[in-house]
Amino acid sequence: MQRWLQYTVNGLTTGSFYALVALGYTMVYGVIRLINFAHGEFFMIGAFIGWSVLSGLAGSGWPAGIVLGVGLLVSMVATGALGVIAARVAYQPLLRAPRLSILISALGLSLALQYSVEGVYGPGFESYPSVLRGRAFSIAGVGVTVSQLAIAAAAVALMVALHRFVQGTALGTAMRALAMDQDAARLMGIDVERVILLTFFIGTSLAAAAGFLSGVYYGQISFLMGFLLGLRAFTAAVLGGIGNIPGAMVGGFVIGLLESYAAGYGSGAWKDVAVFGVLIAVLVVRPSGIFGERVVERV
Amino acid sequence: MKGFTSSRPRLFVAASLTLILAACGSGGDSGSASGVEANSGAIKIGVLAPLSGDNANSGADVVNAAKLAADEINAAGGVLGRRIEVLPTDDGCDPQTGTAAAQKLLVSGIVGVAGGYCSGAAIPETAVLDPKGIPFIAAAATNPTLTDRGLGTVFRVVGRDDQQGPFAARFLASKVGAKKLAILHDNTTYAKGLAEQTRAGNDSLKLGMDVVYFDAITPGERDYNSALTKIKASGADTLYFSGYLAEAGLIVRQAKDLRLPLRLTGGDATNDPAVIRTAGPAAEGFIATTAPLPAFLPAAAGFTKAYTERFGGAPGPYSVYEYDAVRVLADAVARAGSTDPKKVVEALRATRHTGLTGEIAFDSKGDRQKALYVTAIVRDGQFVPHKKLDAAGNWVDG
Repeated sequence: MQRWLQYTVNGLTTGSFYALVALGYTMVYGVIRLINFAHGEFFMIGAFIGWSVLSGLAGSGWPAGIVLGVGLLVSMVATGALGVIAARVAYQPLLRAPRLSILISALGLSLALQYSVEGVYGPGFESYPSVLRGRAFSIAGVGVTVSQLAIAAAAVALMVALHRFVQGTALGTAMRALAMDQDAARLMGIDVERVILLTFFIGTSLAAAAGFLSGVYYGQISFLMGFLLGLRAFTAAVLGGIGNIPGAMVGGFVIGLLESYAAGYGSGAWKDVAVFGVLIAVLVVRPSGIFGERVVERV
Repeated sequence: MKGFTSSRPRLFVAASLTLILAACGSGGDSGSASGVEANSGAIKIGVLAPLSGDNANSGADVVNAAKLAADEINAAGGVLGRRIEVLPTDDGCDPQTGTAAAQKLLVSGIVGVAGGYCSGAAIPETAVLDPKGIPFIAAAATNPTLTDRGLGTVFRVVGRDDQQGPFAARFLASKVGAKKLAILHDNTTYAKGLAEQTRAGNDSLKLGMDVVYFDAITPGERDYNSALTKIKASGADTLYFSGYLAEAGLIVRQAKDLRLPLRLTGGDATNDPAVIRTAGPAAEGFIATTAPLPAFLPAAAGFTKAYTERFGGAPGPYSVYEYDAVRVLADAVARAGSTDPKKVVEALRATRHTGLTGEIAFDSKGDRQKALYVTAIVRDGQFVPHKKLDAAGNWVDG
């Protein structure tokens, strides 16, 4: 029982990262029907920008909470801005081109981002300064750290904020309208291009938040860390129903838990088999995912 | 066809032929000139090491040591009146990149390779170099298979994991007092080999430890909580991680966060300051079995000073081995009196060299006779010497 609880705690923590990154995939797919293969790289870029900020503030003597808050904010905003630029340069010109062109552009962008970061920061890994060396304590024999709680809390807070934004504000409603029918949205007077860029900004800044938090939690970042995580987060988004925001959140936690149980009860080597097996199974059996709607094509 | 009878194409053909002849002519001249040059140009030594990926800093450390050795040799007049030139080439710690890197060095006309950090890359590299008779002196690759294949051109200045494994097992059983041992590796050639050798050492030396856990993590995952939770459930009192430094730092940190009641130890690739940087205060008391660090070798004091002055920062654990490897190769070329690979290999077999790491001589397989392993422990954020075996087989400090 204790083992199961420990696996659950671990799974929920990694699930928070997957959920935050999956949101970006799902939102972008919702508005422009693109699977943004470069999205995982924004997770990585957020971690690196956060590292630069934390290293810069290391000697400043500010309290740990403030330093982390500043790091998180700067990394989210800077990566969000980068995401908007990337969308403007690599995706927007191809929105009316054949579907394949924009997919290839996404793949190319992914590689370009990875190796740009390698060029700037070097090929080895970097270590996050030990700012939040949280205390670890045991509840009922299960090891939990302050960092894990803080990460879960931050992730949930960001997701709740996103949900309120999408449901409650005019811009959020515009995003939902765009996801339903782009032409009708345009007819309603919505500035489609601006809303698309806003979607990218939000999606990539959430991925950056996940990257920063994962850097604080694990302590180690490298320029290749976004690739595999991006694939798993994409699986989470598909599992929850691609295009569906609550679906992405639930999918993220499910994949995190699945991974943790698979590695714990099976072996580390089978972890990815389980996760990507789920991806295949979902696409074959229920491609719309858990929360996805079956969209009927009206001819 | 229209062109052949009119004058323009003929002019074109004539001009091309002239150019080709001129190129051949000058090529021929520079051929003979470079023929002379080839006998008096730089002697090239290839250094294969990971310059990208998680082990990049260790690879850079190896390259720096090679450059230092080459510069000192050149300052003293070089070898056979010629300069030594070091060609650092990235092998990425994986077989594909390593094979391509070895082929690239072959084309560059090297006299030999002094390098090799990841055994998983070094073994395929020797498969590329041996058919051409080019010697490979391993400075950090410790897997036994490297020399066990009997290739004849492979030598090693560092120890082997079938020495390190039993040494680690003895240390864990007698000095750490391990009763239930968990062995964790990462499925790479080196780590798996060292893990198996440690387990085998426990059996063959009848040390009586119960190996309650023997499994692998996947490098690059960053999250090893599941494996660590399983280790906790196995009831182990000691963990020996035989993988590389990036994962080691994460494992130490996560083990402390999970509050595992274990003694944490590792193999020679975990003997690196980056482990302490990643794990922070959790690294206190972590013990690594390792080849002796330069800081602990009395003969290496001058080297350490020169390294720090030129490159900043302390030299890593394998820098002294790389330095010795380059020196041994240069010494062999000098004794052979030529850069003919066959003669160099003959001379290498007869090596009797005193290096920073002690007396160097090779046995029939190319391994170093009398390789030494010691242990190091993290105290106050640094690795310092811990226990080692003296000549009589007793554990002593330092």
